[in-house]
Amino acid sequence: MIVQIAGLITLILSLTIFAVAFFVMRGARERVPDGNKVVYKVRKYYAMVLALVLLGTFSTTLLYTPYKALADTTPAAVVKVTGHMWRWEMEREGAPGPVVVPQGATIEFAVTTSDVTHGFGVYDDDGHILAQTQAMPGYTNRLRMVFDKPGTYHVLCMEFCGIMHQNMVASLTVE
Amino acid sequence: MEKSIRKATIAWLLTAFLVFLVMVTLGITMRLAQGAQVSLSPTTFYAIMTMHGLGMAGALFSGGLAVIWYITSHSCKVSLGVSWAAWGLFVVGAVVLLAATLLGGFGPGWYALYPLPFVRPAWPSWATGASIIALILMGVAWLIFQLDILRALAAKWGAKRLLAWEYIAGKTPEEPLPAQVLIAAMCAIAGTLGTLSGAATLILYLLKWLSPSVELDPLLLKNTMFMFGHTIVNVCIYCGLCAIYYVLPRFTGRPWGVNRVTAIAWNATLMFVLFAYFHHLYMDFAQVKALHIIGQLASYGSALPATAVSIFGIGSQVYKSGVKWSFTPLAFALGAIGWAVGGVGAVVDSTIMVNTYFHNTLWVPGHFHTYFLVGYVLMFMGFLHDFFKSSAERFAVGSLVTMLLGGYGFLLMFYLGGMSGLPRRVSSYAAASFGGLAEKGATLATLGAAFAIVFLLGAIGFGFSVVKGRGAAPEAGASPDPAS
Ligand code: HEM
Ligand SMILES: [Cu+2]
Repeated sequence: MIVQIAGLITLILSLTIFAVAFFVMRGARERVPDGNKVVYKVRKYYAMVLALVLLGTFSTTLLYTPYKALADTTPAAVVKVTGHMWRWEMEREGAPGPVVVPQGATIEFAVTTSDVTHGFGVYDDDGHILAQTQAMPGYTNRLRMVFDKPGTYHVLCMEFCGIMHQNMVASLTVE
Repeated sequence: MEKSIRKATIAWLLTAFLVFLVMVTLGITMRLAQGAQVSLSPTTFYAIMTMHGLGMAGALFSGGLAVIWYITSHSCKVSLGVSWAAWGLFVVGAVVLLAATLLGGFGPGWYALYPLPFVRPAWPSWATGASIIALILMGVAWLIFQLDILRALAAKWGAKRLLAWEYIAGKTPEEPLPAQVLIAAMCAIAGTLGTLSGAATLILYLLKWLSPSVELDPLLLKNTMFMFGHTIVNVCIYCGLCAIYYVLPRFTGRPWGVNRVTAIAWNATLMFVLFAYFHHLYMDFAQVKALHIIGQLASYGSALPATAVSIFGIGSQVYKSGVKWSFTPLAFALGAIGWAVGGVGAVVDSTIMVNTYFHNTLWVPGHFHTYFLVGYVLMFMGFLHDFFKSSAERFAVGSLVTMLLGGYGFLLMFYLGGMSGLPRRVSSYAAASFGGLAEKGATLATLGAAFAIVFLLGAIGFGFSVVKGRGAAPEAGASPDPAS
C-alpha cells in the first residue's frame, strides 16, 4: 500500500514537473521584458505550499518509523537471526529447527551477523517486502512486526555482502 | 594564460566524458547480466559494479570540479600547476582502479562497507590495497583541486564574502558578488569536507589492510563513508548548477546575480547536504535515533532551496526571455527537469516510513541515476557544447532526444523494479523464486538494458557532434535570432 502510494506520488509529481516545464519552455520563445515577474509571484506561493506539505508529511510520517513500532508490546516470539557469508541462520528462541511463528502477534527479530554487513528483508509469498533492518557486525538490530496472514514468508539479503549475496535467501512459516 | 587554462580544462572534460562512456557500457553489461542475456560470473559482475559506481561518481565529480575551476578562472587566478597535478593523480588513480577491479576482481561495491573488503574476499589482497591507494590518490587530487579553487576565490573576493553572508545580513555590497562565485565556493567547501571524510575513512581502510588485526567500528565507518559518497555526488549537481548560473544568462540576456534569497538558499543547501546522508542509515536501528530524524529533516529541507531558488531561477531566466532553444540552454533546462524528477524520488525515499520498503531496492539506483543521467550529465553536456563552441546544433539536439528516450526508459525499469521490491546490487534475480520476483527482475533488466543502449547511442552521437562542430559556433551563444 505504502509502496503504491509512494510510486503514485512520484509519478504525479514527475508529470507535473514535465507539464510545468513544457509550459515555461514554450513561453520562453517570445521576449517580453519583465515578462518573468510572474515567476517570482508564483514562487512565493509555491514555497509556502511546499514548506507546509513537507512539514506536514515530516511530522505525520515520523509517527510511523520502524524504530518505535510495537515497542510497548511483548513479543510472542523472538527469532534470533545471524547473517553469514552467505546464508541466514535463524532460530526461534526456545524452539530449535525451522522457524515457525504465530500469526497476529508481535514477533521480534534480533538481527546480527558473524562477518560482514547483511540486510534482513522480510517478504510475503507474493513478493512484497514487509520490513527490513540491517545486520551489522557488533550490533543487534531489533525488528518487530506482526504477520497478518498464515503462510510461507521469505528472507532476502538487502545489503551487498560479497559474491554469493544474490543467493542469500531463507524462509519461515507463520501459523 | 587563457589558452593554457583551456587546455587543462579540456584534459579534465575529455577524461570525464570518456570515462563516462566506458562506464555506461559497463552499466549496460550489468543490466544485460541481470536480465540473463549475457552470463557473467558473480565475481566479474560485482567487480564491474564496483568500477561502474566508482568510475561514474569519480569521473563526473572530477568533471564538475573542472567546470567550476574553469568558471573561477574567469575572475580569479587559479593555479595551472595544481590542476595538472590533480589531473595526473586522478588519472593514475583511475588506471590503478581499473586494473584492480577489472583485472584483479576487486568488488565490494562503490561504498565498500567496512569490513566487506577484508572478509573472505573473492579477489587477491593486492587488488584491495591497490584500490584503497588509488582512491586515496583521487581523494588527494580532489582535495588540492578544491582547495586551490577556494584559495583563488578567497584571494580575489575575500574569504569572508564567499558565502554571501553580507547579503543575508541585509547589506548591498558595492561590488556585487557573482552567483557563480557563491556556488563554486559552496561546492568546494562541501566537496572538501566530504573528501576529508572519505580520506579519513580510506586511511583507516589502508591501516586495516596493512595490519589485519586492527578492528574498526562498522557503524562509524558507514557514517563517514556516506558523508563522503553522498556529499560528492550531490556536489556534482551543484557544479552543474554553477555552470547554468554562469552560462545561461548569455542565452537569455537576463543577468543572474546574488540576492538575499539566493544567499540564504545556498547556505541552507550547504548545511542540508552535509547532514542529509543520514538517510542512508535509516535501516541501521542501532544508529542514534536523532540522527535518523535529522536525516529526514535535512533531506526534506534540501527540496526547498533547490526548487524555490535554483529551479525557479532557471524558470525566470528563460520565461518570456526570447531564448532560442539551441542545445546548451535546452540541455540545461532538461537537466534541471531530470534533477527535479530524481529529487522527487529521493525525497519520497528519504521518508523513514517509506524507506522501510525502498531501502536497497532498485528504487535507490532509480532515483540517483535519474538526477545523474538525465540531470547532471545533461547539464555537463550543455556546458561542453558551449565550452567547445560547437555549431553542430541539429546533431546535438537529435542526440539529446535519443538520450532522453533511452534514459527515461532505462530509469523507469529501475523504479518499477523498486516498487516490485527487487533488491539492488544482485548479479542475478534467480534466487528470489517467489511471487514472480525472479521473472520480473529479469524482464525489467532486459528492457532497461535495451533503453540504456539507446541512451549510449545518443551519448556517442553527442560526442561526435562536439568533435564535428567544435570551434565553429558564433561567439557568445545566442542573442535572440530574428531569422528564426
Ligand atoms: C545509461 C547509463 C547507465 C547504466 C546503463 C547504468 C547501470 C547501472 C546498473 C545496472 C547498476 C547496478 C544496479 C543494481 O544495484 O542492481 C548501476 C549502479 C550504479 N551506478 Fe549506474 N548506470 C548508468 C549511469 C550511471 C551514472 C551517470 C552514474 C553517476 C553517478 C552511475 C552511478 C552508479 C552507482 C554509484 C551505482 C552503484 C554501484 C554500487 O551499488 O556499488 N550510473 N548502474
Ligand atoms: Cu548478505
